Amino acid sequence: MQTSGVGDRGVRFRRGARGRDAFWLYMGIALAMLALEIFGSGIPRQIRGYANDFVAPVLSLFEGPIRASQAGLERLAGVGDIYLENQQLREENDRLRQWRVAAQRLILENERLSQILKVPEREIPPVATANIIGVGGGAFERSVLLNAGSGDGVLVNLPVVDELGLVGRTIEVGYLTTRVLLITDLNSRVPVRLERTNAVAIAEGLNEPFMRLRFMPVNSSVQVGDRILTSGHGSLYPPDVPVAQVVSIEDDIILLKPSSSLDTLDFVRVMDYRPLPPEVVETEDPEGQTN
Amino acid sequence: MAGPRQGIAFMGLAGLMPLLVSLLLAMLMLLPLGSGIAGYAMPHLVMIACFYWLSWRPLLMPYGACMAVGLLLDLWLGVPLGVNIIMLLLTRLFVLNQLKHYKGKNRGVYWAVFSAMAFMLFGISWLIMCAVTGTILSVDAIFLQWLVTSFSYAPVAFILGRLRRWIL
Repeated sequence: MQTSGVGDRGVRFRRGARGRDAFWLYMGIALAMLALEIFGSGIPRQIRGYANDFVAPVLSLFEGPIRASQAGLERLAGVGDIYLENQQLREENDRLRQWRVAAQRLILENERLSQILKVPEREIPPVATANIIGVGGGAFERSVLLNAGSGDGVLVNLPVVDELGLVGRTIEVGYLTTRVLLITDLNSRVPVRLERTNAVAIAEGLNEPFMRLRFMPVNSSVQVGDRILTSGHGSLYPPDVPVAQVVSIEDDIILLKPSSSLDTLDFVRVMDYRPLPPEVVETEDPEGQTN
Repeated sequence: MAGPRQGIAFMGLAGLMPLLVSLLLAMLMLLPLGSGIAGYAMPHLVMIACFYWLSWRPLLMPYGACMAVGLLLDLWLGVPLGVNIIMLLLTRLFVLNQLKHYKGKNRGVYWAVFSAMAFMLFGISWLIMCAVTGTILSVDAIFLQWLVTSFSYAPVAFILGRLRRWIL
C-alpha cells in the first residue's frame, strides 16, 4: 500500500511538472503573439482575415434561424403597439407623399443643372452587398463579419453603408469573409461636416452606442438635431454620406447618434470608393507621403 | 484526484466533448444575437465552459485545449492574438490550484468562485488591451461583460451539467 502511495505521488508530481511546463510554453507563445500586435506587425491581421473564412459556413448556417427567431420575437413584442404604430405610419405616409412630389421635382431640376454645368457623376457603385454573419471584438472593439471577401472583389479600407448611413470600413479581408470596423469603435475617426453650417470636424467612436464630435472650429454653432455627413477629407469615405445626428450638447462634449441602424444590422453595401488611382497608392513612401 | 482513465485518450470521442462544446460556444459568441446592446455585452461563454469542465473533468481540458480554443476565439472575434489564450490558460491554472477549496460544495459556491475568477480575468484582459492599444480604455463595457458573464454562469452550467451526465 505504501509503495503504491509513493508511486501515485510520483505520477502526480510528474504530471504537475509537465502541466507547469505546458503552461509556461503556451503563455510564452501568447505573449509573443501580443508582442507582434503591440509592435504593429501586419501578420496577425492577415491571419485573422483568413481564419474567419473557416468559421463562415457555420455562422451562415446558424444565422438564418437566429434572424427568423429574432423577427418572430419582434413581431410578438410589436402586437400590442400595432394600432398606435398603424396610426403613426398613416400620418408619416401622408407626409412622405408630399415629400415625394418635391423630391421628384428636385431630381429633375438637379439632373438638368448637372448636365448644363457638366458636373461629374457622384454615384458610387457597390462592390458587394453582404449579410452580417457575425459580430466581434467582445467588450473592446466594435466590428462585424460580412459574408463577402476578396473573392467578391472586397478590398481593405472600403466604406460600408446600410440604407440609412455609414456603417464603417473594411479592415480584414479573407476570401469569403470581411471584418468591418464600425464607426462606433474606439479606433474609428470619421472626417465629417455639419449639414447646416458646413463646419468640418471629426466623429470619434467611443466603444459605446453613441459617438463624439471633436475638433469643431471655434465659435461654430451646433444644435441638437443637426445632421452630420462625411466631409470626404482623408479620401477614406466619400463625401455627403449620412453619419450621425447630434443628440446632446453638454459643455464641450457633443454626442452623436449614428444614422445607420447599427443595432439591427442585416444587409450592408461595400462601396467601391477608391479616390486615389492605383499607381498613386503604389508609389506611396513608407511614411505615407505620396510622391 | 481524477485517475488516468478519465483522460481524453481513454475516453475516445466522448472525451473530446468538452473541447467540442467549448468550440461551439466560441462560435455562438460570434453570432449577431439580439440587438446591438446584447452584442456589446455577450457573455464569455467559453470562459464559463472552461471553468465548468476544469471543475468537473480537468483532464479533458488540458492546457493545449485551452490554448487552441483561446487562439480560435481571438482569431474569430478579431481581438489581439493572445488575449483569450491568456484568459483561458489562467482559468485552468486558477481552477487546478483552487479546486481543492471548493470541490464538493454547493452550486452557489461554484458560482461565487467563478464570478471572483472572472472579475480578475476581465481585469487582466482590460490591462492587456490598454497595453496593446496604448490608451486607457473605459471600464464600463468590460464591467458590463463581467456582470453578464457572471449571471449567465448558472444557466450555461446547468446545460453543461446535463450534457456531462448524459455523455460522460
